[in-house]
Parts: sequence; C-alpha cells; structure tokens
Amino acid sequence: MNTKHTLKRLAGITAIIGMAALFAGCSKSQANDKVTHITYWHVNAQTLGGASVNKLVKEFNQTHKNIKVTAKFNPNMYQGLMQNLQSAQASGKVPDVVQVGWAYTNYFSDNFKYLNPNDAAQKFDKNTNSITKNFSPKTLSFAKNANGKLVGLPYSLSTPILYINKTILKKYGIDPSELSTWQGVEKASKQIKSKSGNYGVYIQEPADTWAQQAMMLSNGAQIKSNDGKAAFNSKAGQQAYQLYQDMVVKEKTALHAPWDQGMDAFINGKVAMAFTTVAQASHIKQSANFDASAIVAPTFKGKKLTVPVGGSMLTITAQSTPQQKAAWKFEKFMYKNSSLMTWDKGTGYLPPTKTALNSTIFKTYLDKNPMIKPAVDELGNAVPWTSFPKNGLDAEQSMIDARDQILSGKNVNQTLKSAQEKINVKQ
Amino acid sequence: MLSNNIQAKEKISSRSGPVKRGKKMNIKPFFYLLPSGILISIFIGFPVLYTLYLSFFNWNLISPTKEFVGFNNYINVFTDPTNRQVMFNTLIYIGILVILNFVIPYLISIIVNFFIGKTKGPYKILFFIPSLFSLVVGAMLFSWILNPVSGPVALILRDYGMKLPQWTNSGSLAIIVICLITNWKVFGYNFILLLTGLGSIPKNIIEAAKIDGIPKWRVIWDIVLPMNKSVSVYVLILTIVEGLQYVFTPLNVITQGGPNYGSSNILYHTYLNGFVLYKTGNASALATVTFIIFLILLALEIKFVEGGRKHAD
Repeated sequence: MNTKHTLKRLAGITAIIGMAALFAGCSKSQANDKVTHITYWHVNAQTLGGASVNKLVKEFNQTHKNIKVTAKFNPNMYQGLMQNLQSAQASGKVPDVVQVGWAYTNYFSDNFKYLNPNDAAQKFDKNTNSITKNFSPKTLSFAKNANGKLVGLPYSLSTPILYINKTILKKYGIDPSELSTWQGVEKASKQIKSKSGNYGVYIQEPADTWAQQAMMLSNGAQIKSNDGKAAFNSKAGQQAYQLYQDMVVKEKTALHAPWDQGMDAFINGKVAMAFTTVAQASHIKQSANFDASAIVAPTFKGKKLTVPVGGSMLTITAQSTPQQKAAWKFEKFMYKNSSLMTWDKGTGYLPPTKTALNSTIFKTYLDKNPMIKPAVDELGNAVPWTSFPKNGLDAEQSMIDARDQILSGKNVNQTLKSAQEKINVKQ
Repeated sequence: MLSNNIQAKEKISSRSGPVKRGKKMNIKPFFYLLPSGILISIFIGFPVLYTLYLSFFNWNLISPTKEFVGFNNYINVFTDPTNRQVMFNTLIYIGILVILNFVIPYLISIIVNFFIGKTKGPYKILFFIPSLFSLVVGAMLFSWILNPVSGPVALILRDYGMKLPQWTNSGSLAIIVICLITNWKVFGYNFILLLTGLGSIPKNIIEAAKIDGIPKWRVIWDIVLPMNKSVSVYVLILTIVEGLQYVFTPLNVITQGGPNYGSSNILYHTYLNGFVLYKTGNASALATVTFIIFLILLALEIKFVEGGRKHAD
C-alpha cells in the first residue's frame, strides 16, 4: 500500500517537474524574441471586477508587442496578496506590479524592495510631470508612508457612504436631509425601531475599523497624532464611540453583526440604513428590491465631515531595469482615462486622477449611477487611512478588539484608553 | 552430551539465524522507507523543527534580522489574557466536538447497527452526503440560514413570535454554531467509520450472548464497546485533532475569531498571529505548545488502548 502510495506521489512530482521544465523552456525561447514578461498581482475576483482586470491586460498586451503582462489573482483581498508576496520574496521571485492596500503602506515600504513612482518617472521619463499633472496633492498624500515618501500611485479610491432604504424612510416620515448628522441617524433609528421593531442602521464591521475611524474623525478626533502615536482616546473619540455603543447596546437601534450578515439584513429590508463603502453600490443596486439610494456620510453636529480613504495603490516591485521600465509603461497605460473608466465601472471604485474625475465619460457614468455621487462629493473631505509606522497590523488588531469590546457593552473610555496604551507601547 | 550441546547451540543459532540475516539486510527496509521518509522530513519534519527554532525569535516573516527573545514567546502564551481565553475556548471546543462528533454518531451507529434491521443503506448515504461538500460552502450557507435578522430560520421563528439570538455577538453561542457546522460536515464520516467497526464484530459472539439470554444493553456495554475499542479510539483522536482543524474554516468565514476572541481557538489564533499580524514568534510558540499537547494526548490514547488490549488478553 505504502509503496504504491509513494509511487503515485513520485509520479505526481515527476509530472510537476516536467511541466515546470516545459514552462521554463517556453519563457526562455520567448525571451530571445526580446519580449519583456511582467506579472501583475491583483485582488479582484470575478465578482469584484476581475473581468475588467483581464480586459485591461488583454488590451495592453495587444497594443504593446514587446511587453507581455500576466495578471495573477490573489484570493482573500490585500491581506492574502501580502501573504503571497511574502512567500514570493522569500523564494526570490517577486512580481512586478502589485496592488497594495492602504492599511499596508508602512508595512510594505519597510519590508519590501520597490521602485517609488517619483524615481520611476525620473528614470524613464526624465521628469515627474506625469505624476504631478495627473494626481492632486491630496490624492498623492494617501499613498505616502510614515516618512512622507510616495510608495506607489493611488489606484482604487473608496469612501464610506450612508445607504438608505427610501421605502422604509418614507413610511415613517423621515427626510434624508435629517440624516446628515450621527445624532440625526440615532433619532431616526429610534423612530424606526419603535414603530416597526426593525433596526435603524448597520455600520460595517469587517476585519478593520475603517468605518469606526470615519465616525471618530467626523467628531473632530485624531486617530494618530503628528508624532505617530495613537491619539483616538480623546473626548471626541470617546463621544463618537459612546453614541455608537448606545445605539447598539442601550437603544438596540443599530445592528451589531459581521459584515456579510449586516449587508444581507440591509438588502432584505430589515435595516433601514447601512454605513459602508461605495464599493458595495453595484451589489446593493443589483440585489435590493426596494428604493435604495445613498447619501453623503453623516458627521457629528457642528463638526467637519472627515472620512478615511479606502482602496489600494499600484506599486512597482520589479527588480531589473528592463522589467521596471515595462512595469512603468504598464502603469501609465492603467492610468489612461479610458483604462480607468473600464476599471471604475467594473469595480465601483472612484477614479484616482484629476483628469479622469473631470472627464465627460465619468460624469455621464455618475448620472446613470447616482449612488456613487455622494462618494465623489466626499473626496474633498478624505484623509489617508491611518497606518501606524511600527507594528501597524498589530495596532489595527488592537482597534478591532476595542470595537468588539465596546459593542459587547464594555466601558468606552476605559477600553479606548487601554487600546491606545497598548498601541503606543510599540510605537 | 557435548555433541548434543553443540547441536542445541546450532539449533539455537539457526533459530536466531533470520535475525542475523536480518542484520545483514538491515539497510533494505530503510531503503524502502526512504521515499516516504524524504517526503515526511521535507513536508513535516523540517517545518516542525523550523517552527521550534522560530518560536525563540521575534520576526515578521521577511525582515532580514530575527530578534532572539529566549522563552519570552512561551511565557507570553501562558500569561497573555487573550491566549488564556483562547486556550479555554479550545477546551470548550474539544468538549462540544467530542459530544457532537463522537458520542452522538456512536449512539446512532449502535442504533442503526443493532436496532434497525433493513434500512441501514439509506441512513449511510443520507448521513454521508454533507461530507462531500466543501466546508467553506457549508459555512457560508449556514451563516445565511442562521442570519439572526434576515435569515430563513429567523423569519420562520418570527412568525411564531420567537427571536433568533444574535449568536455572532456572543462567544459561547458562536462556538456552538461553529461546532454544529463542523458537525454537519464530519458527522457522516465518523458515523460510517464507527458503523463499519461495529459491523466487523464477529456475529457468533453476539448470537451466543443472545442465546444465553443476556439483555441487549449488556451485550453492547460488555461485548460490543470493548471489541470496537480500537476503531472508537481512532475516531475519538480524529474528532479532537481534525475537529479543531475543521473548525478553522467556519471560524475564518463567519466570525474571524470574534467577538473579541470569544470564538477563537488555539489553531485560529496561531493563524491570526502568524499570517494576519505576521508575529511568527508568537505563532510558532503557540503552534509548538499545541503540538506538545496533541502529542501528550496521542501518547495517552495509545497507552490507554494498548493497556486495554493487554487486559483483554
């Protein structure tokens, strides 16, 4: 039995080695024709805009005969991609262009070798006009690490917006204009709860605290002080979380559930409002059978709306000059207006460049998809997603833990205090 | 006498002959073992040793330098409140899994084997079907079915004026639901294993007991259970060791260990430390502790089984 098993295994391994040799042979023969091969790592499954990635790559390969781009899908979003990138780095065979999520900006720039966009532009274009002309300084600030250096080019932008079930709101006489503040959302939720027994609002709870950070920021709190220390345990931060906790624990007007369950509840009309990313717009549009709409994220009374930006940047991890050159060419293609429109339509993200934002195609697209409009309006209020300079992933985990503790009824001030201290010990 | 002695000696030596010849060919069995030996050392032996090595360092998987911290990571495993909670959860998981995936399938397989005559086949098939599905599919399905606000179960309960509790917000409820999902997947497989074990008990012994007029429950308690011991202990080990690994999938899909580590167990926590937070030192220390616990568990079971057998002889 065992020998049979071993024989089977051996046969399998031989087959794999054989295939590998075959492919190695392939790339060698093509290298002789002076085609530069580069790989592009992305996180877009078929349901998350994967088709637009393939379309763009195909178009690029057809128009650039001496470069061949291969797209590789990485499951489990930016976290999964980062895990794969680590094993790639360990084996010494890194991809050339990589999507990096904002939360990983510092981790990526501290641990991986990359060509920053300014150097790339200087090296291959002899000037950095293409960057400064296309991107606003604000957008570029999203992609800077703790030292203020540009790590990659902003590619996918998203902001949190408030989706509303107009059918429910109309039924209970709530005007969407009342929902511009969190206090207004709280009041409306109470009304809905008392009249229908349903929940008023769901605030997204994935494995990050993006939405909760938006609430704290919109009450004037800071997540990170200028010297890189955690600073969310301020009066403003505590107030924001207190309101959130009251809605969940005391009034039971806000739903506390994992992300997919919460979104399911909203789509099935069991929750009147959902505070989540603009990237959910197409999903909601397709699945909801009520009058769904979206408005600008609420802020706190008398405070300026501030939202952290979500999404990712494109970074160049290619090591040799010819490959870096090809990667830079590919990036420039990806930032053309037409490419960006394919991308944004396929994913629901917002265009990162000034030119694409102001283009007429994007404006007609917005008219057809009004749910995306509030997210565009918010871009002026967007700030970079907090990425702590040291042990950033650990810090994010501490904030997730604090959120879960607060929503299960623990004292807000004490929880935030201990979370902040825990983070600052490692900064 | 002398010649007899020599003959006897020769006889003895010839008796021990095969052993001697065996010594000469000693290398051959090792040679046979070599292919699987190499595979095991590459895919199991080396990683285990490397994990042990990593548990003495602070490292983030890619940084060129590893910081030596001695036994700090191990101290952390036993002193950190989160780790303690996770260890406690692991025990609860094991308790529930043993009941759901071992005791209940055993009871049902005994019922099917000894109390139900003709319809064994359909039961086998019915119970085994879920084992064919991927656990990810199962986890997503159950997460939807048991959605406390908009899932079908909640809607049906609502018609009768009842409410499904928000199980994702309570660690203990989340653990129970996750165990039930694992149970859905593993039940059929364990059931078939146990049923096969019961089926292989010689019929004549049971018939003899029947003729002697021994009541059925005593037949089961005194004959069937001891005779089926090796299979049942195997299933028990499988339930604990594999069960904790199976639990990983629904944990990752539904709660990610939440709320606040309430549903996390030692394996998921190892994964979280190693591949989400990139704290390989902590993760390796946790993995090593788990490894040692499982090793002790295994040794205990083996000793227990072997002891039982000797007793039976």
